[in-house]
Amino acid sequence: MQFLRAILAHPSGRIGGVIVGVYLLVAILGLLGVTPHDPLMQFRIDRLHAPNGVYWMGTDLFGRDVASRLMLGISQSFIVAFASVALAATAGTVLGLAAAWFGRGWDGLIMRVMDVLLAFPAILLALLIIAVVGPGTWTSIAAIAIVYTPIFTRVVRGPALSLKTRDFVDAARTFGSSRHYILTRHLMLNLVAPLTVQVTLALAWGLLTEAGLSFLGLGTQPPASSLGLMLSDSRNLMEMAPWLLIFPGLAIMIGILGFNLLGDALRDILDPKMRRAAA
Amino acid sequence: MGQSFFTTSASGTFRGKSLVSTVALAALIGTAVLTAPASAATLRMAWSQDATGLDPHKQTAFSSIRLLELIYEPLVRLDSELKIIPALAQSWEFTEDGKTLTFKLDPEAKFQNGDKVTSADVKASFERLMAEETGAAARANFLSIESIGTPDETTAVFNLSQPDVPILTAMTSINAAVVPVSEIEAGSIGTKAIGSGPFKLEKWEPNAKEVLSANKDWAGGTVAVDGIDISVLPDETAILAALRTRQVDFALINDPLVATLVPNEASLTLNRTPVLNYHVLQLNPSRSPMTELGVRQAISCAIDRQDVLDTALLGEGEVSGPLTMPAYASDPSQLFCYERDVEKAKQLLADAGHAEGFSATVIAATGEPPTAAAEAQVIQSQLAEIGIKLDIKMMELNVYVDTWLKGDFDMAVALNGGRADPYSMYNRYWTKDGNLQKVANYIDDTLDDLMQKGRVETDPDKRREIFGAFEKHLAEVSPWIWLYTSYSYTAQQKNVDGFVATPTGSLFGLSTVTVAQ
Amino acid sequence: MNYLTRRLVTFPLVMLGVSILVFISIRLVPGDAITAMLGTEAGLLTPDQRAALEAYFGIDQGWLVQYGRWLTGAMQGDLGISVTYGKPVLDVILERFPLTLELALLSMAIALLVGLPAGVFAATRNERPSDLIVRVFAMIGQSTPNFVVGLLIIFILSVGFGVLPVMGAFTPFFVDPLQNLGQLILPAITLGFAFAASVTRIARSAMLDVLSEDYVRTARSKGVPALSVIWRHALPNALIPVVTLSGVEFGYLLGGAVIVEQIFALPGLGRMVLDAILQRDYALVQGSVLFIALNFMIVNLIVDLTYVMLDPRIRLGDR
Repeated sequence: MQFLRAILAHPSGRIGGVIVGVYLLVAILGLLGVTPHDPLMQFRIDRLHAPNGVYWMGTDLFGRDVASRLMLGISQSFIVAFASVALAATAGTVLGLAAAWFGRGWDGLIMRVMDVLLAFPAILLALLIIAVVGPGTWTSIAAIAIVYTPIFTRVVRGPALSLKTRDFVDAARTFGSSRHYILTRHLMLNLVAPLTVQVTLALAWGLLTEAGLSFLGLGTQPPASSLGLMLSDSRNLMEMAPWLLIFPGLAIMIGILGFNLLGDALRDILDPKMRRAAA
Repeated sequence: MGQSFFTTSASGTFRGKSLVSTVALAALIGTAVLTAPASAATLRMAWSQDATGLDPHKQTAFSSIRLLELIYEPLVRLDSELKIIPALAQSWEFTEDGKTLTFKLDPEAKFQNGDKVTSADVKASFERLMAEETGAAARANFLSIESIGTPDETTAVFNLSQPDVPILTAMTSINAAVVPVSEIEAGSIGTKAIGSGPFKLEKWEPNAKEVLSANKDWAGGTVAVDGIDISVLPDETAILAALRTRQVDFALINDPLVATLVPNEASLTLNRTPVLNYHVLQLNPSRSPMTELGVRQAISCAIDRQDVLDTALLGEGEVSGPLTMPAYASDPSQLFCYERDVEKAKQLLADAGHAEGFSATVIAATGEPPTAAAEAQVIQSQLAEIGIKLDIKMMELNVYVDTWLKGDFDMAVALNGGRADPYSMYNRYWTKDGNLQKVANYIDDTLDDLMQKGRVETDPDKRREIFGAFEKHLAEVSPWIWLYTSYSYTAQQKNVDGFVATPTGSLFGLSTVTVAQ
Repeated sequence: MNYLTRRLVTFPLVMLGVSILVFISIRLVPGDAITAMLGTEAGLLTPDQRAALEAYFGIDQGWLVQYGRWLTGAMQGDLGISVTYGKPVLDVILERFPLTLELALLSMAIALLVGLPAGVFAATRNERPSDLIVRVFAMIGQSTPNFVVGLLIIFILSVGFGVLPVMGAFTPFFVDPLQNLGQLILPAITLGFAFAASVTRIARSAMLDVLSEDYVRTARSKGVPALSVIWRHALPNALIPVVTLSGVEFGYLLGGAVIVEQIFALPGLGRMVLDAILQRDYALVQGSVLFIALNFMIVNLIVDLTYVMLDPRIRLGDR
């Protein structure tokens, strides 16, 4: 509660929180099928209809309601972003802790593998993975997760390493705390702050990458809807039906903005010292 | 366009104190100064898909054929009305029994390496494409050739095992191009492009550009332009932008959505020609439940072809039966279930024991044709009305082709090539030994029988009758659901003149194009 | 072992890892190179012909043999022959690279020219309305995907002003610099947009930190003019994080900008790699990914070295 209040007290936290909250609501509604129209229903008589009272954001080439598809698209994008970040954060935490705790050879091995992954530009790595497995929702999730795992590993390993050498860990050791206890209790507590910030920012990247992959036709597959796919479909129709470009474009932008603002706020709240390194 | 950049910057839109405006402004002005048309004698052209190879006997991709038709020549070619006209051969004649076909070659014809085109080249070329190890695309069309005689340098005699009327049409394809015997012996077909056609290939950077120069020694006439610079712009919206900014004089457009925007621009002309290629929903009759005639027919009845056309292609095309060439095409409304009938579809489905419907996967290639994803989605929504649940699987073109060749699909959205003759168009699918029989996965005696009859029949009226029956039967047994034919589009600047399009989609008409200064 | 030697030792190790990863993954892509090359006609090949083609492209041997052969070649600068282009992979890459390099440089120039002054300006107006405006813009800039920026630029220019981006055959810089810049300016703005926003944000916060340090306060109290304090005393120290950020971003841009190249129809490295993956051009994918990774790592190494040089206090030992 106190934490939530702190976020709301922070100016960018307030705006970011509201945006993310609204998007979450929209995503849930989209997932539950509470949309103005059936997002897959083709009202072919009304195709490429400009926004009006019935179709708030107009219709697409097939006469599908853009507003409903946007809601479905937001939930699709959120599912991919959340799932991939959850995977990446989990894998990154485990690998980062392992590297820091076991040290030496393990550390070297894990971090060199992460270096290898980091040496690829993110989108190329994702493209390669998708080419191997074939496009689809699960592939996007896996690809984005793999791309961001090294970042989480680094985020976790740094603090874990310095915490490991700190006195209180040593103290805990001498007092006979089990290895397991030290790991979970002390390390995790001190890692939560940077991880939370990183997760929020990674969600923004996740949305961005999902949209990029779908834009290239390698992410979400039709007739399902995602923000990137809607944008990509709008390209040839931009002049006939600008609403097909404007609404999904704004939706992506504002969604990512929300997570970025929230991430900034969290950083300020959780660790004022981190401000400098981040910005 | 030059002016418009100036107007924009002068009107103050880009005026500002920040540095970015200054950078942008400088560059924009730079652009404006430089958009005056370049040397007009070279045609600047754009297309979205590049050729995939240079061997005229092996390439089947439309994009490769478009390029090779400018470089190589067949013995005969088709004009804009699909009549057979001279190319390398000046004249030809069948003997009375239809079993000997004699060509007189143009004595002026020369390859781009300076050698004369002789009957020896013709013989070697056809022997190459008939040899099984070549893997030539059109081999099946020439199986009736028993031997080729070369009584003199300009006479080639084809001795056939049986009367074969469609063979002449098959010879109009660039897949039956005459290539130099010296290049065959050197094994360099496919690495060098030495043809006898109107243009020489000077440079090819795959997926980026081609540079063609006019062949001064071309026996077929005088090429009016100095050459053609082709840029590959994978995105058709970019091609439209390039046309509007006069970066490009001439362009090939595949996407009807983009083509419909061309006429909005006063400075551009759109050429729209109906083509022989057909859009089709291929069912796989070897897979349950499409094994059932009733199920296939139900699908045919449930699909509103005009609606698919209107939605996915913005109405740019004509609903058509299996035969798309004007000389043989019939009124599609006479074919089985070309008028949508959902009740009948449900009834047929119920009679076949699938009243509840079923689920199936439909494959489609990304961007080939550009409307494939849209077509699949409309079909999906139409079939949902009779309880058939389609799962769309989009694939990259080469993965799609792989899957398609193996016949590994329930249904496939496809754009297949048409020919001027029904036999050469369909023998690969609907004869018992057709080389794509495993893609079609369906054959019955009637189809095979009618194909064989049509092949040897020489009387045009009787052929029409045979193929009419063939088409009617094919639509009724519905192994595939034929939808419509679309158009081929080229767009050009007003100063480009003289391009003649053909229903085969060939760009050979570029040989007579002029560019005014 | 100090930081530098360790970086240099692990460098080839990481490159080796990259080469193995890309070698295996491209071979896991469904659909083999022959079908990808020949299309439908591959269905007409006899087993003998197929075997002959596989031998010709050197994909008849086991993976280990292929990898060994490729690695030995790569060490001598021979990355193999591209199936699609029919010429050495290195030649193909070097043909595409100038565009990518130029685009990356232009984007960085835009980002620094806009971002640096904006960031410094905002820092000097800390928490005043003008600072807030800059920050809001930077935040929005950082949150807008580049393909949205690209599409919006095209849309606004063409629908709003009837002005169109210059697309068409790409003109290299040395052939016609102005034409070339005309073609690259919009993609460069598109890529520079978010980049500039990041530079603004990092320059602002770095500047704020430096401005609060003692020596700056001293300079101020001694009556050194405000502008001079900012540009001469504070900025050089605030540059460190800006250099890091720009270096990393630049390294990424050198890998090609797939989506922006697609939108603006530019034949850069990104599109080439995408095409190569889709066409199963093994040698080209392997070669270009190795090339891109090498660039990326070299740029990062240089950034790290600059970092150490600019600020010797920083110990990079445990990175």
